[in-house]
Amino acid sequence: MTQLYRKAFLLAVSLLCCLLHSHAQTRAEQLITLDLKDASFEKFAQEIETKTTYRFYYDPTTVDSLLVSMQVTQKPLKEIMEQALAGTELKFAITPQGAVLITQGKEFMANLPENFFNREKTTASGTTSPAGTSTTTPYMAGGNSKKKAVSEAKLYVIGVKRDNASGNANLAGHLRDAKTGEPVIGASVYIQSPLLATTTDQYGYYSLTLPVGEHELIIRAIGIKNSKRRIALYSNGKLDIEVEEDVRSLKEVLVEAEKDRNVAGMQMGMERLDMRAIKQVPTAFGETDILRVVLTLPGVKSVGEGSTGMNVRGGSTDQNLILFNDATVYNPSHLFGFFSAFNPDIVKSVELHKSNIPARYGGRLSSVLEVITRDGNKKKFGASGGIGLLTSRLTLEGPIIKDKTSFIIAGRSTYSDWLLKKLPKESFSKSSASFYDLNAQVNHEINSENTLYFSGYLSKDKFQLGSDSLYNFTNHNASVKWKHIFHNKLYSVLTGAYSHYGYGVNSEKNPVNAANLTFDMKQANLQADFNYFLNSKHTLDFGASSILYNISPGSLTPVGGESLVMPDILQREKALESALYVSDQFDISPRLSVYVGLRYSIFNALGPREVYTYAPNVPKTESTILDTVSYGGGKALATYQGPEYRFSARFGLTDHSSVKMSFNRMRQYIHMLSNTASMSPTDTWKLSDANVKPQVGDQIALGYYQNFRANTIELSVEGYYKKMKDFLDYRNGANIILNHHIETDVANAEGKAYGVEVMLKKLTGKLNGWVSYTYSRTLVRLNNTQVSEVINKGEFYPSNVDKPHDFTLISNYRFSQRFSSSFNFTYSTGRPITLPIAKYQDGNATRIFYSDRNEYRVPDYYRVDFALNIEGNHKVQKLAHSSWTLAVYNLTGRKNPYSVYFRTEEGKVKGYKLSIFGQPIPTITYNFKF
Amino acid sequence: MSFYTKYLRNTLFLYFLFLLTSCEEPFTPEVLERPNNFLVVSGFINSNGPTAIKLSRTQNLSEEGGPAMETRATVTVAEENGPTYLLRETAAGTYTSGRLPIQNSKRYRLVIKAGGKDYASDYVEVKQTPVIDKISWQAESDGLQFMVTTHDDQNNTRFYRWEYEETWEYRAYYYSEYEYVNGEMQYRRPENDIYLCWQNNSSKNILINNTVKLSQDVVSNYPLLKLPANSDKLANKYSLLVKQYAQSKESYEYWDALKKNTENIGTLFDPLPTQLTGNITCLTDPAEPVIGFINISSVEEKRIFVNKSELPTGWRPPSMHCTIDTVAVKDLKEHFSSGFNIPVSMIYSDMGAFLGYSGASSTCADCRVYGTKTKPDFWQ
Repeated sequence: MTQLYRKAFLLAVSLLCCLLHSHAQTRAEQLITLDLKDASFEKFAQEIETKTTYRFYYDPTTVDSLLVSMQVTQKPLKEIMEQALAGTELKFAITPQGAVLITQGKEFMANLPENFFNREKTTASGTTSPAGTSTTTPYMAGGNSKKKAVSEAKLYVIGVKRDNASGNANLAGHLRDAKTGEPVIGASVYIQSPLLATTTDQYGYYSLTLPVGEHELIIRAIGIKNSKRRIALYSNGKLDIEVEEDVRSLKEVLVEAEKDRNVAGMQMGMERLDMRAIKQVPTAFGETDILRVVLTLPGVKSVGEGSTGMNVRGGSTDQNLILFNDATVYNPSHLFGFFSAFNPDIVKSVELHKSNIPARYGGRLSSVLEVITRDGNKKKFGASGGIGLLTSRLTLEGPIIKDKTSFIIAGRSTYSDWLLKKLPKESFSKSSASFYDLNAQVNHEINSENTLYFSGYLSKDKFQLGSDSLYNFTNHNASVKWKHIFHNKLYSVLTGAYSHYGYGVNSEKNPVNAANLTFDMKQANLQADFNYFLNSKHTLDFGASSILYNISPGSLTPVGGESLVMPDILQREKALESALYVSDQFDISPRLSVYVGLRYSIFNALGPREVYTYAPNVPKTESTILDTVSYGGGKALATYQGPEYRFSARFGLTDHSSVKMSFNRMRQYIHMLSNTASMSPTDTWKLSDANVKPQVGDQIALGYYQNFRANTIELSVEGYYKKMKDFLDYRNGANIILNHHIETDVANAEGKAYGVEVMLKKLTGKLNGWVSYTYSRTLVRLNNTQVSEVINKGEFYPSNVDKPHDFTLISNYRFSQRFSSSFNFTYSTGRPITLPIAKYQDGNATRIFYSDRNEYRVPDYYRVDFALNIEGNHKVQKLAHSSWTLAVYNLTGRKNPYSVYFRTEEGKVKGYKLSIFGQPIPTITYNFKF
Repeated sequence: MSFYTKYLRNTLFLYFLFLLTSCEEPFTPEVLERPNNFLVVSGFINSNGPTAIKLSRTQNLSEEGGPAMETRATVTVAEENGPTYLLRETAAGTYTSGRLPIQNSKRYRLVIKAGGKDYASDYVEVKQTPVIDKISWQAESDGLQFMVTTHDDQNNTRFYRWEYEETWEYRAYYYSEYEYVNGEMQYRRPENDIYLCWQNNSSKNILINNTVKLSQDVVSNYPLLKLPANSDKLANKYSLLVKQYAQSKESYEYWDALKKNTENIGTLFDPLPTQLTGNITCLTDPAEPVIGFINISSVEEKRIFVNKSELPTGWRPPSMHCTIDTVAVKDLKEHFSSGFNIPVSMIYSDMGAFLGYSGASSTCADCRVYGTKTKPDFWQ
């Protein structure tokens, strides 16, 4: 469209030119009186247009930095124009019809340059464009307020050239996909000399301060063609860049982050995974699984197969902030954790921060996992989906207002329930398991300064094992974001989000005990973030956030008239968590940069509530309750606060290697209660209160990064040491469900974790992937007799997720454009386990006596997966693109233990190991897109 | 339905079945050979009957044979600020007393001197066990479910533990009419009858329940055990004796943890095993683990009988693989003298000529292989 306007405009101009000579001097000169001070050119033009019959034709962006000050009486237009444009690169021409044409740089041309209309074609097909005009002649854009830079050959002029121009100017804008209008996230935008670089944020926005003059702007990002734009920057201005998707790399690129981010970027301990990479990792049920891929990254572990609870650098599963479009997700799994809660079709990218966590984030000790969904296609309607053996997916997207508003809706459901019902074996047919999830998102670009994002998410799981209890859990999330650009260097994002998580267990088998057990939590956030690109050396981030929690920790209600179950409803928990933060990224020199951030968080546990007070300096038990204190609605019953320091520094050793270090303090006010090793739907969340202290964690990390072979191979070595204080561990025999005084069953433990992570990535080529090795330890201690009984004689003992050695290989080999294969290998030390060490006779039965907590380990874990991707043909124009994925999960059929346990059967102690995917699991999935 | 869709559906079933089956397999770690010899105290102090305490030692998991009993120990029950009562070793490692003069308002503890070390339990309050209201049973499609119902009007008990003993009549497959004594075949004397016996078995699982979450202290139809419909226990007449013990909260928690550790595991959402801490400590070496939890309560018992005639007619135990052999008179000695085979009856030809004796293996004709001939006192 814009192309067409441009051509039409130029055509009009050239026609006018032809008339210029033949009709010269046909009207009397109009004399003009003006009195302007620092008026914009627009104002200046309007003034003249109202006083005369002259009409101005110009590209607003060429004059947007021009200010006109003049005081003239009864002067001809020519003289006024000369005065107004003096010292700039702008030229003017006045036609006999009274049109005033403003052009930039060269004098107005009467004829189009030779080969003008062919130029587009020749550059697009990749041959060298004819030297001369195409690169040196500036190009006048149409009536758009912002430029959309599409061509690599053109010179985009930003601002108005003045003869004495020097110093710096700022360039900002959005980077978008030319085909769908989607923002391109995490792309590097830079010039090479001097090396000045920035990265697009999650809105595809960039802001770069450059010396005035001509530059070659280089753009590199995941899944787009490496491209560059020629710019001439004279004053602050905007340039929206549209880039083409790299069709060829559809299955080639595994993780192609900003190519030299590893070395040149400020971030450490951060991984960004693109959907393309995620899609290539084979999974148990053939469906792309985001969390499963995150688990292959160094430093990220899970307790066992079939559980999506993540343990990052020795942290527990509740220490990860999982954000889905800025709304917190509390249970990121489906179907006992075999599927992750995120529909792969709608996810754009996943970002995991594990050591240097930006000050913007807080509230969890170990990591931040940010899942960002795609924008709907702004240009045309489309549908995509997949049919697998257990689930099917469908996504619809398209513009509501072309180029301004788009929507995307995605749904996913399983037919496992239907399958279970048809199974002949009774225990299966009485079982049921089903889930679905729905995503919807609308983006609306109000104007170039304001954009609105609406996002909604809904998921529901239901399952019944055997015929007894029926479990269900739901996630509801919604978020609204308003992004406002104040000017090139400052923008803000205002976010409102709502999250809900709840579960229910319904048991009706025995009418006397029939009951409903429910848990439910709601969270509302309001957050304002500001991003200020102060100058080429400083980038400031600051903002404030507030979260209101409202938890119903558990309620048991009778079902049916016969039930004797007494309603048991735990008191609601409410709290307000607020934080202020500011951070500065300071690029001291091209070699040295530091990031300094401070976050200050305040947590208020709020009434109405009745709180037990306990005798001091003895473990909290029912017998040490001294008093019950009642707090009114909105009254703070406990307040915790503290600073959270964030610091990191990068020092470039050479162009291809650097060292980085970081220090972080995190505070966490919400805790997950679970006495099972994996994340299960009956886990509940507990807010800090007068009896449960917040967790505090410090982490120091040091890393070395080197890139080889023109940034195609990345090596990173990171070591860390972490100390955690007051995280919750359980006393022996803890009762978690419907406990009115949970503080008597948990204890504040201290923990430490340390490790070294080595990762080698190859980003491009026929063979690509990564290899990582991690050595890590994570230890816990419970030795404060004032808090609880002492476990393992008060010594540090390995936590449930302590797996010292971990090796992962993720590889992809592309045979041809249409065939590629993936091969994965993972190995890790078996997790710690408390083993029975003795047997004894008790009454009639033989029973067992357990070792110290986590004294032994289960057998080591290893697994090999293989997948083959077959793409349809690569014609760009065809009705539907389709692909097939054939995969085998656990190729060697190794029976990796999910859990090891001992059971007294018929009076004898028998050891068992339970493996979930104990044989090779073949899957086939069909994906389509049109 | 076309052949194709049917085929596809079946394939999907198989696929799903494939995913869900054969997950569990035996596992025996090698690291468990470290020597251990901890004291194990089992039993309870009975406030309305004889008390029996058993002392033994733990063994390695791989060790064969029964545990070593702790003999020649001194076991006493001591009242808080009061007298002590000595228990006497009546069998190896078993220390008993008659009914002790236990008062419900006092607290007592168990004191043990064994292997040169002193052990003692915490002082424990006496729990009164309410009467069992009824033991009921219900024939369900797949078996016979036994349930216990009880209540405490004072709402005091709240925590319950049960044990049961089952006894059933057992009949041999063949009725042996003859016996082979001293090389002679003779009619079986009535006192040597080996057709009818009784078998018994006692509970091994931990059976506990609480009523903490109920508005009244009522246990309604708590399932104790389920016999499969084809159980040979139900072939004739069956009897179940249920013993009920009121528990302190701590004792209940101990049993609950023990149950969780050893019985309720093997699902995807397992709790972690916890180290059990009982209420007995070694006074000489406080770091030494001692296994056991002493509870003091009275005992309530109730017995019921179930006759085959009361059960659904289709219920039948699986028939044993029993065959009958014909033994000629000349072969009697060779066949019956070892006692492995038992004569059953005389055999005559169609014409009425005596051919010899029929015989069957002792598992088919001698009920004593599985049970005892002594009729229990309570048998009706």
